[in-house]
Amino acid sequence: MMVLVTGGSGSGKSAFAEEKVLSLGEARRIYIATMFPFDPEAFRKIDRHRILRCGKGFETVECYTNLKDLVLPRDSVALLECMSNLTANEMFQEEGAHENTVEDILAGVRKVLSQVRDLVIVTNEIFSEAAVYEGGTGTYQRYLGEINQALAEMADEVTEVVYGIPVCHKGGTCT
Amino acid sequence: MEMIIGGAFQGKSAYAENKYPGTCWVQGSDIEEDTLLSARGVLGFHEYIRRELKAGHDVKHLAKKLMGQNPDVILVSDEVGCGVVPVDAFDRAYREAVGRVCTELAAFSKKVTRVTCGIGMVIKDA
Repeated sequence: MMVLVTGGSGSGKSAFAEEKVLSLGEARRIYIATMFPFDPEAFRKIDRHRILRCGKGFETVECYTNLKDLVLPRDSVALLECMSNLTANEMFQEEGAHENTVEDILAGVRKVLSQVRDLVIVTNEIFSEAAVYEGGTGTYQRYLGEINQALAEMADEVTEVVYGIPVCHKGGTCT
Repeated sequence: MEMIIGGAFQGKSAYAENKYPGTCWVQGSDIEEDTLLSARGVLGFHEYIRRELKAGHDVKHLAKKLMGQNPDVILVSDEVGCGVVPVDAFDRAYREAVGRVCTELAAFSKKVTRVTCGIGMVIKDA
């Protein structure tokens, strides 16, 4: 079972995704952390997430790039958070996949799916605003948009979280 | 409490005014805290949050205050979290603050409607 959770900044995506993992029942729970701790703001965000998932039985695995090399326990339930960080890492970090970001990440997701029992992926809505971005940021939006579409195609459930309220787009409570 | 949310320029205020005629609406960009805590309806609630942050005030307890002191208010607010992460640190903090405050208020609200292109979609009706 694969679940895609999307939404804007500060919308409660993470809390929803963690509850989703817990609702999938007993299993080893693996949290695939993708935020690279590059500055104090990132550290604060990482701490906030650590506190949020504390006591929910997650083992944390860090993965900043190269998802397809990740080895995970069979029959575990994995929560990958989040696709927007992983995409930025692959594009902009030296050891990243750069122009092969979309293909590499999708291959990585398929690899993870082949190992775990259930996979919940958190991604981000960064596509509704007035500013038009060129260069790296524009490419970033395009890559993440392509990845999100492919993930939604693969997923059994797609839920957008709006201020903590789940809005179903595919599977789940839609059906 | 009730919330009407959505992107900018989607007809949220018109939707709210149409839905609740005769309501005395105030603007989040103009009001002080006492007005916020006594108003029947607030348009542009996100603007209130922005002003508070600009003035150096913390909005951590804003949602609780509203729930405690004005639990029947109708709040109309932009969603501002669906763009690329802003370069400016204040903009990042503002964007996140609107999300956190509104998420807390949405959990408390009986009804939440999201307006897109003038069309309201009820996403919560408890």
